[in-house]
Amino acid sequence: MTVRVALIGNPNVGKSVIFNNLVPGARQHVGNWPGKTVEKKTGKYRYKGEEYELVDLPGCYSLTARAVDELVSRTYILEEKPDVVVDIVDASNVERNLYLTLLLMELETNIVVALNQMDVAKSKGYTIRTEALASRLGVPVVETIATQKVGMEKLKAAIENAAKSPKPASLTYPSDIEDLIEKLVTILSADASLVTHHPARWLAIKLIERDKEVLEMIQETTLDSKIEEVFA
Amino acid sequence: MKRVKAVLGDDPEIAFAERRYKMIGGILEECLTKTETGMTFSDKLDKVLLNKYLGIPIFLILVWALFQFSIEASGVFMVIIETALVTVGAFFGTLLEGNEMATSLVQDGIFGGFAFILPFLAPIFLMFLGIAWLEDSGYFARAAFVMDKLLRKLGVHGKTFIPMMLGFGCNIPAIMACRSIEGEKDRMISILSNPYISCGARLPVYVLFAAAFFPGFEGSVIFSMYMLGLAVAIFTAWLLRKTLFKGEPEPFIMELPIYRVPTLRESVLHMWERGVVFLKKAGTWLFLGAIILWFMSAFGPAGYLGIDPDVSVSYTGILGGLIQPIFAPLGFDWRLGAALIFAFLAKEIAVESLGIIFAVEGDIAIGGALAGVFSPATAAAFMIFILLYIPCVAAVGTIKSETNSWKWTLFSVVYSIIIAYVIAAIAFALLSAIGLGVIGGA
Amino acid sequence: METKLSDLKSGNIATVTKVAGSGAVKRRIADMGITPGARIEMIRNAPLGDPIEFKVRGYLLTLRRSEAEDVMVSTEVQR
Repeated sequence: MTVRVALIGNPNVGKSVIFNNLVPGARQHVGNWPGKTVEKKTGKYRYKGEEYELVDLPGCYSLTARAVDELVSRTYILEEKPDVVVDIVDASNVERNLYLTLLLMELETNIVVALNQMDVAKSKGYTIRTEALASRLGVPVVETIATQKVGMEKLKAAIENAAKSPKPASLTYPSDIEDLIEKLVTILSADASLVTHHPARWLAIKLIERDKEVLEMIQETTLDSKIEEVFA
Repeated sequence: MKRVKAVLGDDPEIAFAERRYKMIGGILEECLTKTETGMTFSDKLDKVLLNKYLGIPIFLILVWALFQFSIEASGVFMVIIETALVTVGAFFGTLLEGNEMATSLVQDGIFGGFAFILPFLAPIFLMFLGIAWLEDSGYFARAAFVMDKLLRKLGVHGKTFIPMMLGFGCNIPAIMACRSIEGEKDRMISILSNPYISCGARLPVYVLFAAAFFPGFEGSVIFSMYMLGLAVAIFTAWLLRKTLFKGEPEPFIMELPIYRVPTLRESVLHMWERGVVFLKKAGTWLFLGAIILWFMSAFGPAGYLGIDPDVSVSYTGILGGLIQPIFAPLGFDWRLGAALIFAFLAKEIAVESLGIIFAVEGDIAIGGALAGVFSPATAAAFMIFILLYIPCVAAVGTIKSETNSWKWTLFSVVYSIIIAYVIAAIAFALLSAIGLGVIGGA
Repeated sequence: METKLSDLKSGNIATVTKVAGSGAVKRRIADMGITPGARIEMIRNAPLGDPIEFKVRGYLLTLRRSEAEDVMVSTEVQR
């Protein structure tokens, strides 16, 4: 069976270099996302006898419903449910890059973090304790320097591992926010189809943020008034 | 019951973002140590490249250097391509010896014009290489930052400068690059104004006409064509912003990445991604166009017209004659009219079609034949028309796919013909007034 | 002292207190790390005076003057 892997990250993190390192140019396929003028790059590679299909998601800083690129990425993750999501984090710009990582964790994806541009981070005076980061996030973290093809085998191995023993990421916010999330999750759970298609906690967070797309989703259900109570 | 407002205040969306960053702060406290390194190389470079007084001059110098690089470094490659073509052409010539029609198709139809056009691939690819290098180095984000205020006055976003630069190579990848521009209006304006940027495919036409009609001033003539294209692009953007796409350009919330030296492999890959789009266009439309052109010129209502036919009685001649009255005020005859029709398939074909029509080979011979029948004013009007009228068929296709609208594609085509005609007519009148309307005069 | 982000001079460091403005732009600014509590340094104006370059969360970000006007900062920086 083919393992489906999505590649995501902020712009300028070396995502396309990683894509090119994993999939040789001749095996890449470039097209468009259906109905969108957003480029979709896909390609396949083999690792330890297994076939991996890589999808390059548009580079983005966030996952709101307001920008086309962000919506394409988010919809793909929600609807296509890739087996593994590789989140490429620029080690030299780790604070802002982890923002997207948290958003992906909210989506309860099976994440592998590639901590790229380690060389640039070092030159900036950054020392990152990778293991500590991995245990704090609860997801595997691999150090890479894509431009020098460093860490690519380790990345492939981490993807293989994640595919074999999937572990959806989970993120716990401070208790005041958790209370809100919990309340909303209880209400949302009444609609079985809604919460089987989307992570309930993610829906709750998006409701708190007044996300346009999720609000519209809720308006189609009967939960509308109960949810408004939490906001009133 | 605790409400959202009590926990996160009036603006939960922003408050939630704040909480995420707080959480990241907590994580990084345990995992990240920062050592003061003082000013990094990147910071020092910015002190110069974004300096209040030096920023704009440096930008202009870099753009100039990009053009110089693509022109100067391409000389060697152009010679290699030319030699290769002549060799292959001669080989096919001996292979097909004896079959007159096949020899005519291959030698006149395919290799005759290609030998002049194909070498111009070199400057296009080198331009893309230079752009890829500057883009991947992190400088282009700075250039957008430097140019934003000026470009915004003209109605476009600072980022539009990147597709504009690409347009000097080929308009197709340039129009595709408009995807990086957020905001529907900004993107539409960038797409619809891009075709007037003079691409590398128009260069062979300028080179031919400038050498034939303005000897000694070739450089200035070609340079003014590029400037005219840029001016029309800017005017079009301004006009669209004032009329059909009213409003303010999108916000300028942009990251300035750390400078780095792109690897050669990376730059070449990036160049190839864009260059291959041009190659596909050349491979299909240029090739197809050459065959159609040969066929329409070698055949007429009377049938096959033989080697070096009288093109005026061929289908090409008839077609040129049909549209000639429209262009008579610019001094075009049926030959230039026919060249314009074929140039729609790919603008370089204008050169090839004139070669076939005049039954001569090589740019010097074509130039000589042209100088014998047209005035410099007509030549200038023709160059301007080639520059501005409908981009090639592949670019029109790209406009369609990127705007996702036949309406805007049609608008682009009609608008371009009108503006080309008006400006060509003005140039013709002005040049005629100063005595350049005489055949053989310059 | 509370002031607009757009009023900072080159080299000034401040703490973000409020992100105002309209929906999509406001959220984009916050996603990029300009949230209440963030330390932000004004680096320089573009040569023509606009946009403005800032350093926030360890990286460089540009905003137009009009966008920076919607962010309030306090110039009394802790630490």
